[in-house]
This record gives sequence, structure tokens and C-alpha cells, in this order.
Amino acid sequence: MVTGNLISIGIIPLLLTLAAFVIPLLSLIIKEKLFYHMYALVFGIIALTYTILNFYLVNIVYGKPIAYFFGGWIAPIGIVYVVDGLSSVLGLLVGIDMLFIIIYSIWYMWREEGIEWYYTLLLLLEASMIGIVYTGDMFNLFVMIELLAISAYGLVAFYRNKKEAIEATIKYSLIGATATTMFFLSIVFLYGTYGTVNMADLAVKARSPWICEVFSEACKFFSAISGTSYGNPVLATAIAIAFALWAFTFKAAIFPNHFWLPDAHPEAPTPVSAALSGLVVKMGAYATLRVLYTVFGLNTLIDIPAGAGLSLRDVLAYIVLILGAVSAIAGSLVMIIQNDIKRILAYSTIAHLGLVFMGIGAVMHGSSKAVVSAAVTAVVFHIINHSFGKSLAFMVSGAYIKATGTRNILELRGVGRLMPITSTALVLSLLHLLGVPPFGGFFSKLLLFNALMMSGQIVFAIILVLSAAISMLGYMRVIVNILVPPRPSKYIGIIREHIVPSTLFIILIAIITSIGILSIVGGIAYLENIVGSTGWIDGIRNYINSVISFYASIK
Amino acid sequence: MEFPIIVASVIVVSLYVNLGIALYGIFARPSLVKKLLAITILSDTANAFAVLVGYRWPRTGTPQPPVLMNTTNYNESIKYYVEHAVDPLPQALVLTAIVIGLAVTLFIAFIIIQYYRLHGTVDVRKTKALSR
Repeated sequence: MVTGNLISIGIIPLLLTLAAFVIPLLSLIIKEKLFYHMYALVFGIIALTYTILNFYLVNIVYGKPIAYFFGGWIAPIGIVYVVDGLSSVLGLLVGIDMLFIIIYSIWYMWREEGIEWYYTLLLLLEASMIGIVYTGDMFNLFVMIELLAISAYGLVAFYRNKKEAIEATIKYSLIGATATTMFFLSIVFLYGTYGTVNMADLAVKARSPWICEVFSEACKFFSAISGTSYGNPVLATAIAIAFALWAFTFKAAIFPNHFWLPDAHPEAPTPVSAALSGLVVKMGAYATLRVLYTVFGLNTLIDIPAGAGLSLRDVLAYIVLILGAVSAIAGSLVMIIQNDIKRILAYSTIAHLGLVFMGIGAVMHGSSKAVVSAAVTAVVFHIINHSFGKSLAFMVSGAYIKATGTRNILELRGVGRLMPITSTALVLSLLHLLGVPPFGGFFSKLLLFNALMMSGQIVFAIILVLSAAISMLGYMRVIVNILVPPRPSKYIGIIREHIVPSTLFIILIAIITSIGILSIVGGIAYLENIVGSTGWIDGIRNYINSVISFYASIK
Repeated sequence: MEFPIIVASVIVVSLYVNLGIALYGIFARPSLVKKLLAITILSDTANAFAVLVGYRWPRTGTPQPPVLMNTTNYNESIKYYVEHAVDPLPQALVLTAIVIGLAVTLFIAFIIIQYYRLHGTVDVRKTKALSR
């Protein structure tokens, strides 16, 4: 069955970008705020429908990666979007979580001024995230990361008359622009060496000598169009990945590029904080996973053991592991001493992204298929869990902030007793993030621990447990301060819970609980079945095949 | 050494120096405007690198823009084109990167203006609204 050219992949970023840029034009005619809320809701639902459709097509109908070729150009010449198991899962995650965030925005931003600009940027954010997870082209990845970055800068600066928000945006955007320019430079290096920016083509060329024997048609197809590599590919690849990792760790807020996150996430409007912490930082982790597993993965030309038995890719993996470990420990430690509830959650994001990067770095030269599969599954599962958990936690903090007007947990003492549903959601989401057994957070941390143990990184496995133990103090401090003291008299009778956020909280509680229950009854095996082959030769072979099979179908 | 290699080396070295100057400007200068200028230098350097990667010095004659000039005699003109034209793809990448860079630069310029309105200065050492 031919899987080439499915419009359902390519339409989502285009449609959402178009929808976003129509809003400023509409704002000249329509002044009613309700219209923009409903407009964003409709496009959120459309995007979710298409991501569900793509998930269904990849995992149930075809059972292999599918592709869309923009303008009908074949792969290394034109831009191609490839959706494999990993992309389909993360695309679905973006669709679901962004829909929740849009619904929450309708309540939270109901009477805000400038709502049309807010939704322009929010829809652009969703378009760029789906573009990042679906793209099969390095330069398109750069364009989408820039689009993600600039819409995120704009959203952080939404309250543009607040000194803190502008200062956070300055920090975020100045260094962010530098990091993405470095990523462009890395693409220049890759193009100068390999003569292509297509991921499948790069994956073939990086595995050049041996893949031509087992998969000769791919080798023949790509070398006919983009030739062979030129100069010293090992050195150029090392430089390119070094530059690219700077951009990716900046996006993912990994130490030492974490400094912008604790300022930028709290200063944004709360729905945006949920989107930034829940999804945007994950895009850096996804890009790292793609580059270090699919494109320059195991048995590529940078994975040849040199001095001390370490290959160049092992050095990169160790860098990712160590930076992840430092982020996990530092994020958990600094979280304890904060008083601002959104800042606590922001530091918790740094710690969790550190855990995700430790999972990415678990695969070394000579790792078996079981280790690769376990590591990818653990990383993706932790991304899913953290995304829902952190979005819920930020939404809950927004409900407290909206009710009392303060972010300081010492001033929120006892407020939780007045808002029973919100406080239940707070406690459950923090337990989920901490990793308490009935919830999904426990199982993903367990999987990360297993993956690190399987690859022999015992020290880092201990650091993972340590980070969870330290972060418990921070989470408990929030719960104790908000729930345990008596009800504050000045808020009694004033605070009441609104129906929209309460319903959302109940749905999200159901999601995080059911993730935990599903992972007991075989959900993890299902996820591993979908994403586990990423980074191993059969998965990469399917990925490449979906790109080259289109030419055979139109010939 | 041949003349093209000397020229190419000089260009590459000067681009690396440019890169260093830009990074110094971004990280060490206190003025936000100077930082913005350094960012534009950085992105221009990256774009120049891209153009350099696509450039080539043919064995005979001079390099040609990637446009098929002569369409009457296909075989001859395509042969000449393949031997002499520079690579067009990096130029397309640079065009896209310039447009994106324009948007980012405009955004940062606006944010710096807003910063100046709120603080009365663009010196990052004198203002500190966020506590750590």
C-alpha cells in the first residue's frame, strides 16, 4: 500500500498559521471578544481532529510511517513531513494539551484587552509545535523553531507594561535569537558536508558504508540526487551537533541554558505558562531525540569508538546525561527555597526536563535494542506525564491567582480550603509530578530508572531517585502552605469556584489517573510498540522507506 | 598556494573573527542596543557562511549565478551551467533566514523600546526588577 502524500499531515501547520494571521484582519471588523474565544476553540478542535487522524493512520491503518511532500516535490529536493510513531504520539499530545489550554484561556482571559493578539500568537505556537514534531527536514525544523520562539517571546511579553515581564522577555529573546542562529550555522555545516538538509537523507549518509549493503535502494536513491558526502564528515558533524545542541538545550531549559525559564514562565499569562511548561520546552527534547537517535544515531560515522573506547556520540550522550543530571538536582534544590507558586512549578519543569535528557543520554555505543527501546519509551512517557501534570498544576495555580491576586504561597495560606475541587487537583497533580504510584508519573520515572540501569549508568539512576526525593520537599511545601492552615477570614464568602476550570480540572485528573491505571494493564507495552523502534535500524528503515517510496509511486 | 584558496582562507578566518565579536557583544556589552547590533552581526555572519558554502570556483572561467542563461542549445548550456553555476540552495536558505531574522530583530527592538519606557535606561546593570 502506498503511504505517500497524505494531506492530513501537511494541512495542520498551514491551516493554523493561516487561521492565526487572519485574526488581526478580522479584528478590524469584529470587536466582540466572544468571537475570538470561539474562533480559537474551533481551530483547536480542528487541529486535535487532524492529530488524532494522523495517529490513527500511522498506528492502526498503515502500521508504518507516513509522509507528506509539499508541492509534490520528491524528498531531498522539496520539504517533506514524516509522521512516525514518535511524531504521531507527540503530535497527539500537542493537540490534546493545546485544546485544554485554549478552553482554560477562554475562562482566564475572558475580559483581557488585546485578546485577538493573544490568540494569534497561541495558534502560531500550536502550528509551530506540530510543525516541529512532524517535519522531516532540518531547515524546516529551524524555521519552525524560530516560529515557536517568536510566538513564545510575544506571549511572555503579553503584559507589556509590567517591568518583570519585559525583563524576562529580554532575557529569553536575546539569548534565544543567538541560540537559533547557531542552529542555522549548524545546518550550514551539515549542508556543506552532506549536500542535503533532509533528515532521511542525512540518516542514510551518516550510516553510509554499511547501510548500502542492507538497504541499497535508499543509498542509490539519495546519492543519485544529492551525491555523496564531502570533506571531513566526522569533524563537520561534531561541530554541527555541538551548535545544534546549544539551541535544543536552550529550548528545553537545560543547565546552563536554564536561566530564562524561571523568569519567563511565571511572568507569562497563566494559560501560556501551562503551554510553555507543558509543551514548548518538550520540543527541545524532541529535537535532541530526533538528532541523536534517528539522524545521527547508533552505528553512524560519529559512533565509531576512538580513545578510551568512547565514540564521539558517546561523548555527546555523556554531555546530555551530565547536563540533565545537573538540571535535575539544581532544579529540585532551588525549587525548595522559592515562595512564588508559579516559580516553584517553573523550577520543577527544569528538574523534569533534566530527567528527560538523562533518559535521552542513556543510549551509548553498543547498546542493545532493548536499551534503545526502553530509553525512548521512558523519555516519551515522561514527556506525556509531565505535560499533563504540569499543565494541570499551572492551571490550578492560575485559579488561586485569579481568586486572590497573589502568587506568594505564604499569602495563599489556607486558601485551598475554600476551593475544594481546585485543591484536590493541586494535590493530585503534585503527587503525579512527584511520582506517587497510582499516577502515571511514578511509572515514567520507574521506566527512566530502568533504562538508566539497563545501560549501566548506575550513578545517574541514583541521581534520578535523589532528584525526586529532593523535589518532594518543594511540592510538600506548596501543599502544606495552601491546605493545612485555617481558612483565611478575609476570603470567606468571596472566593467561589467557577464551573469551567473545575470541569477542566476533573477531566485532567481523570487523564493523569487513567494514564497510571493504563500503564498497569499494558499501556506501556503499547507505547513501546509504537515508539520503541525509533533509533533502531528497523524503525529508521521504515522512516527512510516512507520518504523514498513516494518517488516509486509517481514514476 | 593558489589564489582562490588564499581568498577562501581569508574569508573564513574573518568570518570566525566576526562570530567571536558578535558573541562578545551579546554576552559582555551592558547596553541592550549594542546586544541587538551584535545579534544582527551574528546572523549576518551565519548567512555569509551559508553563501560561502554554496560558492564554487570553477576550473575554467568565472562563477555564474544559478540561472540558466541560454535556452537555445540545451546540451551545451546545461553542461556549462553545471560546471560554472554556484549552488542556489544556500541562497534560498539565506533568504528565509534573513526574513526570520528581520522579524526577530524587529521584535527585540520593540522590547528594548518598551524596556526604555519602563526603566528610563537600556543598561542592564542598572535595572533589576526580577529577584532570584
